[in-house]
Amino acid sequence: MSSLFDILDFAGIGLGSVQSDDEMTVIPLVGGDRGDVASPSSLKFERTTGYGEMKFSNEDEKPAIVPSNMMIRGTGAQDHAMSGSGIVKANSSESFNNACCIEETQGGLLSATGNDEDILPIGLRKPLLDYGKRSEKGYSKLWHDIKGWLRGMNLGRRSAAHLRYFYDDKNINQALEEFAASFEPIENQIGAVIMFNGVPVGIEIMPSADHWDAYWQQLLRGCYGAELLRMKRLGKIAPSTLILPNIPEESSGEHVKEILIEFTNHLREEIIPILEQISVSDNRRIGSITSGLETRMITTDSGGGDVILQDSKPIYISLVL
Amino acid sequence: MSEKDFQIDSGMLQFVPKGAYYEDQNEQIKSINDTWTSFFNYDRALFCLTTLLNGTGFSKGAMSHMLLSNPQAVTGREVIPAGLSFDYESKVIMYNLIKERTPRALKNLLMLAGKEGKSRVNNSRTRHLILEYIFHRGHHELENLAINYKGKLKTLIRHALGKQELNKILFGNEKLFMKRIGRYNENAQTVMCHIFNIPLRKDKVYARFEKIEQVQELNEAAKAGDVELFKKYMKGLPTLTVMGYRNTYKIPVELGSVYEKAKMGKRQALQMETAAKKAGTKIKVNYKNQDIYDLWKAFYHKVTVGNQSNIEEIAEAIRFKMKSKKKIDIGEVVIIIDASKSMQGSDTRPLHPFLTALSISSIISNVKDVLYVGGKIHPQTDGVIIPSGATDLWKGLIEAVLTGVKKIMVISDGYENSVKGLFDHVYKHFKKSGYDFELMHINPVMSADAKSGTVRKLTGEVTPLPVSNHKYLETEIVFNQMIENREIVKQLLIGKYKNLIGG
Repeated sequence: MSSLFDILDFAGIGLGSVQSDDEMTVIPLVGGDRGDVASPSSLKFERTTGYGEMKFSNEDEKPAIVPSNMMIRGTGAQDHAMSGSGIVKANSSESFNNACCIEETQGGLLSATGNDEDILPIGLRKPLLDYGKRSEKGYSKLWHDIKGWLRGMNLGRRSAAHLRYFYDDKNINQALEEFAASFEPIENQIGAVIMFNGVPVGIEIMPSADHWDAYWQQLLRGCYGAELLRMKRLGKIAPSTLILPNIPEESSGEHVKEILIEFTNHLREEIIPILEQISVSDNRRIGSITSGLETRMITTDSGGGDVILQDSKPIYISLVL
Repeated sequence: MSEKDFQIDSGMLQFVPKGAYYEDQNEQIKSINDTWTSFFNYDRALFCLTTLLNGTGFSKGAMSHMLLSNPQAVTGREVIPAGLSFDYESKVIMYNLIKERTPRALKNLLMLAGKEGKSRVNNSRTRHLILEYIFHRGHHELENLAINYKGKLKTLIRHALGKQELNKILFGNEKLFMKRIGRYNENAQTVMCHIFNIPLRKDKVYARFEKIEQVQELNEAAKAGDVELFKKYMKGLPTLTVMGYRNTYKIPVELGSVYEKAKMGKRQALQMETAAKKAGTKIKVNYKNQDIYDLWKAFYHKVTVGNQSNIEEIAEAIRFKMKSKKKIDIGEVVIIIDASKSMQGSDTRPLHPFLTALSISSIISNVKDVLYVGGKIHPQTDGVIIPSGATDLWKGLIEAVLTGVKKIMVISDGYENSVKGLFDHVYKHFKKSGYDFELMHINPVMSADAKSGTVRKLTGEVTPLPVSNHKYLETEIVFNQMIENREIVKQLLIGKYKNLIGG
């Protein structure tokens, strides 16, 4: 069994200054562009071609990556989410027919415009780490999990598997916006390690800083922020803030600076041994190699996700832990 | 109302009636009306004097409407605060009207005529205010006003005089004309005839107003579809007037030609610069006349789109403004500007928080140093900072304290994240260790509706002042002290009144 750290190949990736907001800590990952793929603006969601089928197009000369578990919510149509990540060849479009409907009783097909885009919350990404479920062509495959995920949050008396009950709630929406505003991408940021109360819950690495710029809010707001907010509402996470270092009363300004720089460096560096301890139990290819890109699904003790390789080097990583 | 129950914030001076998705306009107006009424009942003099501070034209208009709707003296024994004249309210209202841009000032007067969602108010004070505002001005100013705002003036004058007096004046009652209008401008009969479309009498001699005559010629040329004559008469007339005739009568005159030949206001010129360029012409903009925020905005717009034209002139105008602008002095101060990513603002108001921070730092005097925390240098420039990255404001606080100043102003949206809580931790350490300094946190919010209790704090011990516009900084400082130090604030405002208006 190999360590997650070995598989992900962090060569050329540095750690940025830690950002935190109460229970959530984000350690930015910085580095140069990792992959030769289409820019994020070239990738467009076109429509749902049927229930459980999502179609994307790519206007670029290079292949494009659809981020893992991307969800599209529109009006008057059945909201959908991807079961994993996706690859769309250069200058073409691609339908993914193993997608999930995430709005049980709503009919209608999504179109290209007027939609909200997010990434599924952690709790709904994990069921899709089951290979059988992920590859199943059944649009209703996530409804049971959505109902469970929504249970107990008092979003009215509605019991259908409508994930938008959560995102459309006025208070939740405002809290998520506030939450996303608490974090900021830094220069050359291509990804992040996300932790709840000091425990890693996700690793996200994009092929370039442009990709991170395009998707970081969807990840921090729609995926990690949503999960944290749910856990807080259900009392499943203890309220916590970082314990800040003691500053002796007689410390001069310069000394205070030294203490705090050491503190933030320590916060940043302690993530490495934590990642080294995460072991990988399964690592399998998903589908065939497309445009030189190979998708692999990794399973760890507590989660997993997708890694996309180009020339055997991981250029896209999206794992929930 | 007891002071304990009374709550006030500067939002009442900065109100703009725009419906947000969760609160429609009627709810907003009802809520702000309640605030104005409470404040009016709490202290009428203070209510009036606060309108001397920077605020929106709408707020000032509505507050003036409230003052004019309620007689200043009922018993004749009302106490006028020491240092103010008996007619100080009218003077304050007139001062505000003159300081306001003309369209807004006219809208505020129209509130008295029952427009702009207000009830009609007609009394001796309103009559004097309306007629004095319109006619107490120089020859050219009066004709410009009459050309640009003919319809509005018609409504206002009719409201102030009433139908009967108006008819008497228009049809030759000179004694009444002198009593009501001639006292401000004895030549105004020509302007009255223009506004009310009354032909000048052949048997009388009138003062000439050349531009009014020019507009009448332009009107005739437009009606006749005579392009050459139209081009001749449009020179020097207001752009909007020319555009109005051009569009109504479909005169085939190029847009670029209108921009070039017609005349526009200074703010309009800056706003139209890009449109004029697209139309293939150039507008001469006097950057030194522009507002500091508009200059920073134009500067950053040019930097971000990579347009170098006039950028040096704009930078020079900013330097000029920073030297000459009337400054707010709070003592020697170090300013920390949050230049992190979140200061970039929204899609609809890009860079607004950062531009507000720059503008505030430009109007504070006695600045020992300005420290930028976060941000990056724009690659195509020689040191222009653009908001980027995380917020580690604690580093700026340490540097500011090390300078030894007694006042530190931090301008930040309060979204500290690297690491959240460290600013507060450092602040408390310095305070506990006996460092003597006062911290002021200005939060450059996107909306004027933000209340001081609701915006993000950097430390629990300092309440942030939300400032949506640098012009309101002084206002925020005054309102922050309004309840606790009512008499001090009143004296400060009376001082401001004497300074601006006189005795």
